[in-house]
Amino acid sequence: MELRFSQNFSLVALNAQDSLHLTNAKKVALRCIAAATILELYLEQGFTLDKDMVTFNRKDLERPEITLYQETVLKAVLGRKESLSDTLPHLLTVVSKLSKKYLLKVERAYADSLNGDHALEEIPNLLGCDLQFDTAGVSMKEYRSNEELFTKVIENLRAETLEEGLMTDESFFMLWLMRESGCFNDIFSDEELKRVKARMSELFENSNLARKVLPVAIHSSLEIGVKKFLRLKRAAMGTPTGTGINFTFPVFERSQSVFIETDAYFEGKEERLRDVLTRLKEKGHNYTVLREGTVPLIKIDNLIYEAVPSAVNGGRMPIHGVRLRIYPLY
Amino acid sequence: MSRQRTLEKILVSEYVSIGELVRLTGCRYSTLKFYTEEGMLPFEQEEENLTRRFPRAKAVEKIKEIQELKKRGLSIPEIKDILLQ
Repeated sequence: MELRFSQNFSLVALNAQDSLHLTNAKKVALRCIAAATILELYLEQGFTLDKDMVTFNRKDLERPEITLYQETVLKAVLGRKESLSDTLPHLLTVVSKLSKKYLLKVERAYADSLNGDHALEEIPNLLGCDLQFDTAGVSMKEYRSNEELFTKVIENLRAETLEEGLMTDESFFMLWLMRESGCFNDIFSDEELKRVKARMSELFENSNLARKVLPVAIHSSLEIGVKKFLRLKRAAMGTPTGTGINFTFPVFERSQSVFIETDAYFEGKEERLRDVLTRLKEKGHNYTVLREGTVPLIKIDNLIYEAVPSAVNGGRMPIHGVRLRIYPLY
Repeated sequence: MSRQRTLEKILVSEYVSIGELVRLTGCRYSTLKFYTEEGMLPFEQEEENLTRRFPRAKAVEKIKEIQELKKRGLSIPEIKDILLQ
């Protein structure tokens, strides 16, 4: 199965994003997904081209080849206007400034389309099992992309960028979108980024399309900055020292220090484990108990955790339970 | 720059690029590059600085063979020996 250009980008952009809340990182991704829709229409001759101007009329929305997700983005850009006529770079800037209301519509349209192709699913986030989230009735879910399709998109982009030879329009647009969504460091190593930089300069010199699109910056520096800071924080808390610090001060990274309360005070090790497994089952997680005992080892959704007996301050009385701590394997 | 070829077109063409080989097999780019540099994958290169072209059918078959041998627990030097025989 092969997806279309913007679907391929959204597969990468939505992966591991919170599916229920509009987080800062998801806002960055959705702005770029909207831009990817415009680029897809440009590649597939969805616009009327006249020199540097691209034109789209409202009545074109009725064309059968216009998909639901394209329609969602085009309607948001058109607003009340009957037609839009703009240069591609300016149109990309306009589409990246959609309001939260439209960004959510774009997300729904893409998530549904990818879901229909079995390319994206919603999975429960472990944080939803935490005492605070569970008792407050806050559900936590995230998107997970089809691993095979995800790998194909990323590896094809890496191959086309890092190898000598012609680069396709699709790969060039994908590269630009990855730059604007702040994903370069996730895809390329520091050494490879030097080659990427050289490749971009090469494209800028030799291609008209690259000269038009490369100078366009649709990212918000603040949003990208926050995204990078959160990623750094998560990485720091993932190290052996960070895991220890986070265990003592869970506030640093709540998602990696989940507390699950037990039914009663001073429960035995079997009952404690039973309560943890009940919560995990309730929230739809896949788990396997690798080791029983006072500190059991549980594999939850492909990651291994230690369930360390603990207590949190619950007002007048402490609440007994276990805190899940990532088991250091590397 | 040019447009990306569809999967249907790639499947009927004699030669493919490394990126297209990634799309066909789902293998990682770095893995294919390693196989190529180790001489495990057949390719053609007209001049030193020109792009490498892979004969589609032969390259896909070799990749499948390598994957099969890896599943059987063979190491890369052992696989290389078998492929060279």
